[in-house]
Order: sequence, then structure tokens, then C-alpha cells
Amino acid sequence: MKHARLLVMTDDLPQASLALAQTESFHPDPRPPEAQALSEAPGRGYRELYQQARSRLDKIARLVELEGPPDLPTLRVVDHAELAATNQELATRWEEASRFEEGFRRIDDAERFIRDQAAALANFADLKIDLGTLRNKTRFLDFYVGIVPRENVSRLEGAVRLADHLLFNYLQRGDSAHVIIVGPRGEQEAQLQSVLASAAFQALPIPQGLDEDADPAHQRERLAQRQAELEQQRQTLTETLADWRHTHQDALLEAQRTLLLAEPFVTLDPSIRSTGHLAVLAGWVPARAVVALQQRLQDSLSLPFQLDCRDPRPDERPLVPSVPVRARLLQPFALLVKQYGIPQYGEVDPTPLFALTFLFMFGSMFGDLGQGAVIALLAWAFRRRLGRFWLFGILAGLSSMLFGLLYGSLFGYEEILPALWKSPIHHPILMLKLALGYGVLFLVTACLLAIYNRLAVKNVAGALFGHHGAINLLFYLALVWGGLNLARGDDFGAAPLALVLATLGALAGYAWRQLQAPVGEKVLVVFIETLETIIGYISNTLSFLRVAAFSLNHAALSIAVLTLANMMGTTGHVITVILGNVFVLVLEGGIVMIQVMRLQYYEGFSRYFSGDGHEFTPLRLRRGVRLTTHGT
Amino acid sequence: MRTQAYLNTRVTALSTRLLDRQQMQTLAQSSLGTLAERFGLDALLEDGVAKAARSRAVEQTLIRALLAELAILIRPMSAPERGLLLTWGSKFALFNLKTLIRGKLYQLDQSEIREHLYDLPAVLRLPNQALFQAENVPELLRVLERSPYSLIARQAREVYEQQRDPFALEAAIDQRYCAELVRRAQQFQGEDALALQQLVGGLLDRLDLLWLLRFRFSYGFSPSEAFYQLVPSPKLLHRERLLQLANLETFDQVLDALPSPLDQTLAGCGNLIEVQRRMGGYLDAEARRVLGSSRSGLARALAYLILRENDLSLLFSLIQGRLLGLPQALIEIGIDLAEPHCPMDTAA
Repeated sequence: MKHARLLVMTDDLPQASLALAQTESFHPDPRPPEAQALSEAPGRGYRELYQQARSRLDKIARLVELEGPPDLPTLRVVDHAELAATNQELATRWEEASRFEEGFRRIDDAERFIRDQAAALANFADLKIDLGTLRNKTRFLDFYVGIVPRENVSRLEGAVRLADHLLFNYLQRGDSAHVIIVGPRGEQEAQLQSVLASAAFQALPIPQGLDEDADPAHQRERLAQRQAELEQQRQTLTETLADWRHTHQDALLEAQRTLLLAEPFVTLDPSIRSTGHLAVLAGWVPARAVVALQQRLQDSLSLPFQLDCRDPRPDERPLVPSVPVRARLLQPFALLVKQYGIPQYGEVDPTPLFALTFLFMFGSMFGDLGQGAVIALLAWAFRRRLGRFWLFGILAGLSSMLFGLLYGSLFGYEEILPALWKSPIHHPILMLKLALGYGVLFLVTACLLAIYNRLAVKNVAGALFGHHGAINLLFYLALVWGGLNLARGDDFGAAPLALVLATLGALAGYAWRQLQAPVGEKVLVVFIETLETIIGYISNTLSFLRVAAFSLNHAALSIAVLTLANMMGTTGHVITVILGNVFVLVLEGGIVMIQVMRLQYYEGFSRYFSGDGHEFTPLRLRRGVRLTTHGT
Repeated sequence: MRTQAYLNTRVTALSTRLLDRQQMQTLAQSSLGTLAERFGLDALLEDGVAKAARSRAVEQTLIRALLAELAILIRPMSAPERGLLLTWGSKFALFNLKTLIRGKLYQLDQSEIREHLYDLPAVLRLPNQALFQAENVPELLRVLERSPYSLIARQAREVYEQQRDPFALEAAIDQRYCAELVRRAQQFQGEDALALQQLVGGLLDRLDLLWLLRFRFSYGFSPSEAFYQLVPSPKLLHRERLLQLANLETFDQVLDALPSPLDQTLAGCGNLIEVQRRMGGYLDAEARRVLGSSRSGLARALAYLILRENDLSLLFSLIQGRLLGLPQALIEIGIDLAEPHCPMDTAA
């Protein structure tokens, strides 16, 4: 990765932004330039204009469903005047669209009101009173029937009490409360109106004719009729909106294109500084793309420019973005790696190793030809829903199938297929030994990667003495050597013992020098850290026994299912085998997945992967998606 | 337990920043340069900037300082504790909301509205970007209806459609703020609950009494209208008491009917400004008592913030007075160092 600094004439900035976006290899660096003179932000006005226009287009898009950015047949610079004209056009369009939105809101409000009215009438239906009287004020009594937000009821009750009125809360629906307020007519009435307005009281009119025709069925019919009218209004408004959209479709499409072309300059804006006619912008460019970038700028810019590229300085390393893996097969694994973190620039990207070891461990712990095929088929069937993860399911399924063939396991049956290698349940000790061997290999690889990563950032002391550095690795190898001697029935061995003691001594000495604390505390810390190194490596190696344990567990669970199935008749046998396999797939499959992830994150990544980098996201033009019209 | 100890230590350390009367008197004699240096108010000394812009920048800096301390205090807190302090701090976000609504209702220019908005930390910021981008009043109301403030949208619509003053709307926002503060304070138990009841109760007592007197006797609201705008306090001015007070006919009758110790605190008060000053002292004393003697870290943190806000507000008054070139005597009244009637009487 190179740090690029581009000096251009301010007038050429929009063109330069477009050219950089076309190359898709320029990751903006928003740090202010070291030269104090470069303090102006030339694109500020342009950006504000863009943001206003974008906001208007987005609001229109919410109403008329614009789908993604359209094709860009030609690339051209959008100048300030054109952007301002587009913004003005969108202002007019949004003003019109806003009226449609308001129309829909009024219909929604009216529908809600009808629902409340229906609820109120249903409630009144059981009362033996003349509802017509509630509509008209009597000579002495004042009635208010309506709804208020539930949270206002208590205060409203107190307020109407002060105006000599009473409040009855007879129904609660959602956030609203249905109330009746009754009191004497008189001078308090005016006061009450103001309180009711403050409490957001909405009167529910008792329908005309209720006193002559109190039949609830008729009232429901009237409300349904009103509801149908509103539906009709909504339909008409929707059609008018469709016509409006059709009329302005081309203008909206063109506005979308204009904004897409203006976007690179706006995105770059925080990284641009200028003084007078000279502007500078900085960013990160992959080393292999520098020549192409230079060529593109030469072809695009009419005024002189200067592109300087240099290697990142050591202090800039945390700021340098890392390019993610591009291989399609590795994409789902890259997503899982990203859950832990993004590789820092210069660090080994763990994705390929992660993918390989993940598939190996999953397959070996869940080896079954039939169940693996089910996983792969399910991943294929749900590929649209799973997004990029469908490939992950396919690969995991295939790995499981491969190990199923090696183990001779098909839906738990071990007699149907001849094992190409060995059945785990019949060779448990061998499986455990192999798992331990795999663990040693895994940990040694992780330590080697940790050493490489530190050397890559010139951290020699860390590579030698740091956690999982060279001395740690030497200690671990000596421990494994001694362990192998013991396993063969011999002594631990003088040479491995000497190596273990020497490396532990070196680590303790290094820790002693690094610590800034009183002697007593130093002794304690160094002792505990040394002990932790010994225990840690032993327990981490034993942790890999789970790879064998789960392969045995898988076979044992299958035996249990088949034993149960054999106790039943033919139908019972089939049902038990199916249900048992579903159980194994869901429960054990899930557990195996979690265990593999744990081994990867904890035993692998925590050793060599810092994960505190950030991803290379170059400036690019969004294009290739077309505008679709609403309702089509 | 450890969190409490940490929080209490934090509050005690921060409370050394509070200003006593002696320090305020010294500050009252200081020049703008000295004030700028002591409180890091660089904006105060910028040449060629209008007084109003300098004043806004100073206010923004002081609010930022207060909210930075709020952020420090909430760091070790549990979610409900954090929620209470953030609710207290949300008043600044509500100022922004009021500015936005008022600005849109009166069709002010976007840049003019933006100038009057506080720049708040993300944790307190309202989702007002959509409100800000609304281009006409109906759109603003629709956005408001989709926001957590949907309940006040109806009031806003009425203000717009009937061309009314947005008073009811802003009162509704204040009411919701106070009710939420009380609700959050009532979630706690034991030591916290008792201290918070005193503190939040003191805050509400002060607000309720001032609102009540203002609505009833300055704005001429009816008892019903005045009561509706109040939020019952968990301490002295509870619901029944407010109903009783709202129904009284004169300013003096209300003061006479107040429960102890408010009746002694306000004895002989003749006007609203004096009531405001003495109730400020009442809340200040309550907050200092909680800060000094409570064992609840949460209540002490809130007490500290209330006192600190008051200090910074007095400091802002002092700076504004200086920027506007007001007489020293008037400035001292503004920052509670002198009795309000002295210079007026002298001038008369």
C-alpha cells in the first residue's frame, strides 16, 4: 500500500474525484495536511448542496420506491450550477410529493378516527341510555365524548375537576383513552375548551340519527360505508401519485444520475484542503494500482497535477487500510474473520488458514456422508436467504461428506458404507493421538504467524520474547519433545528439560526487566506469568482433544439413535432414524460449529491476530442498478 | 459496592470545581480575558466576531463542559442510573427540539435555525436530522408524528392549523421532560430512592411553583388550565396540593397556603422574580445537602450536576453582562450577588 498525495488545480477537483472513483483504488485519508497554508475546504458549499438534494431525493424515494442507482452511460463532471439546478428541480418535485404524503396522512387519520368511533359505539351498545342526548348539550349539562392520549388522562381529570366537571375513562385502546366529561353549563366551558386542546382531546361525534335509529348493526354499516369512501379516496390518491411518478420519471432518473456523478467529490470532501487555486487530497492506493491511477489522471485532467506516492511511515501503520480477500470461495469465511476483527496492514490475513482449518475440524468432528449432504442441500435450497453464507454451508457439508466417506458413516449407519479409512468409534485412542498432533501443529503455526506479524512491524523484541514469540515456541517444542519421550515410556529427557528451563528462564528474565514494580510484586508477577505459560500451553494442546471427542460423540449419538430405532417396528424405525438424524444435525451440528469457532478464535486468533486494522474501501461510483417505477 | 465507592470519589473530586460565594465575588471583578483563560473560553477573545456569536460560542462551550462531566459520571453507572442522568441532560436536546419546531413554524431560514442549535454529544442527541430536513410545516408535523414525540405532534398541528402561539406545544415538551424525570427517579429503592425523592422533588417543587404563579397571575390562566400544565412533585407539591393551590385566587393566598418549609422560604415575597430567586436558593440548599451528606452516589452525581449547571449559568450571565457592557451593579444582581431592588431604587 502506498500513501498518495495529489496536488491539483481547484477547478479540476470534480474531474479528479471522478477519475479516482473510476479507478476504484483510492481510499481517502481525511487527516489534515501538514502544510498549514492548506486550510480551506473548497468543496463545503458543493457538499451542502449535494446533501440537500440527496435528502430530497431520498424522501421522494420513500414515497415512489426508487430502486438503487441507475446506469451511467457517460461519465462527466457535475459542476456547481448543474447540482444547484438539480437541487431546485428536486425541491419542486418534493413539494409536490409532500402533498401526496399529507393526503395519505389525512386518510390514515380519518381511518383511525373511524376505528375509535366504532369502538366507542360498540361500548355504548350495552348502555340503556339515549345516546342522542350525548350529542346535544342540554340546558343544564355539558357533555364531551372523545379520546385523549392515555398519559394525559390523570392531569386532565384534575383539571376538569377544577372546572366543576367530572371525567369518566370508560375504555382504553392502545395509547388512547376514551373519556366522557360531564359538568354544568356556564362560564367554565371556555376554560375547559382550552384545557381540552392542551390535552390533545379529540371529540368523537355521536352520529346523526342515532336517537331515531340506535340499532348497532345500522351504525356499523354507516361506519363501514365511511371506511369504503376512505378506501376509494386512497385508491384515487395512489393512482394520481402513479401518474405523477410517470410524468416525472425521467427527471427523477436524471437527478439520480447527477447525484451519483457528484457523489465522489462529496465523499472526498473531508480529505481535500486548498489554498487559492491549489488543492491537495490524500489517500491510500495499493502499490500495484499506482501506475494505472497516474495514467487515469493524465487522461482525465486538463490542468497540471502532481501525484506523489510513498511507503507508509511506521507511525502511520495503524491508519493504513488492508485489502480484504477477494476469492469468492473465501468470502463467507472472511465474514467470520471480520467478526473478530480486520487484519492490520502488514499482518497475515488469517482467512485462507481459517477456511482450511475450519473445514478440516468441522468435517472431522461431524463426519457423515448423509448428514453432510443434507447440510449442503439445505444451504443450496436456501441460498437466496443465506446470502454469501450459502457457500459456507455447501463447503461445510462437503467436508462432512468427505469425512463421512473416510469414516464409513451414512446417517449414523456404519455398516452400509465401507470406511475408506477408519471408523472413529472403533479407534478412539488413535483419534485422540491424532487430535493432539493436530493441536500441536495448529499451535506451532499460530506461534510462527505471531512471530512473522511482529517482525513485519519491526517489533523484534516482541517476536522473540513476547507472548507466543520465538522463545515461547522453543519452550513449547521442548515441552512436546519431552512429552513424546514420556509417552514412549522413557524419561522426559535431559535435553528437552534443559531447553524448557532455559526458555522459561529467558521469559522470566524478560518479564522481570519489563516490570516496573517493587521487588516483592515483581517476584509474584513473574512467578505467576511463568506458571501460566506452562499451564497455558499444556491446556491449550489438550483443548484440541475435543476434535477427536466430538468425532466419537457423533458416532456414539448415532449408535444411540439406531439402538432406539432397532427396538421399534419398521415404521417406528424409520421415524426414529429421521427424528434422530434431525436431532443430531441441529443439536450436535450447532455444538460442533461453536466448538470449532472457539478453537479458531481462542487458540488461533488470540495468538497471532490483532484484528484492529481497517478495511480498504476505495472511492467508487455506484452504478449498474436501474430505476424501477412504483407499482411495476 | 465498588462502583458506588468509585462514583462517590468521582463526585467528590468533581465537586471541588463548584463555586462558592467568595469565588463568585472574585469572578465578578475579573476581566473577560481572565474569565476566558480560567474557563478555557477561547471564543470570548476572538476579534472580529459579533457579540451575539461570541455569546453563543461561550454558551456552547459551557454546555459542552457540563455534558463532558455528565459523560464521566455515567461511565460506571448501571443502565437505570445512566438513564436518569441522561434524562436530566436531555433538557438540552429538548431546547434543540423547541428551536427546530419554532423555527419551522415561523419559517425561519435553515442556517438561522442551525445557528441556534446546541452541538450535543451523540448520547444525548435527538434524531432531529429528519426534523431539520423537513422543508415545510406539514412535513415537519409528519416527521414529528413518527418520532418519540408523536404525542405532541397533535398539539403542534393545532398550533399550525389554528395559528396559535406555540406555548402549549413547548409546555407539553417541558411536561414530558419533568414527568419522565420523576418516573425514572421512582424506579430506585433504598438509599437512592430517598435522596432522589428529595432532589427531584426539590426540582419539581421549584418548577411547579414558578409555573403555577406565572400561569395563574401573569398569564391569567384559569385554575384548570394552570393545573393541567403542572407535573406533581414527589416531595411537597403533590397532586392534591397543586389542585388546592391552583384554585386560589391571589398570589399571596398561594404563598400563604404553601407547606413548610416553602412557606418560611417565601415569606414576604412580593413578586415572581423574588420567588424565583428564593426557590433557586431552596433547590441549591437541597442539592448541597444531598451532595454533602447522602450515601447514594447516583443522587450525589445528580446533585453535583444541578449545582454545576447553576454555576455555569451564573458564569454565562456574568460574561453576557460584560459583553453587553452592563453596569457592574446590574451584573451582580444577575449572578445573585446583590438584591434585585437596590440599583432600581437608586436609579429611581
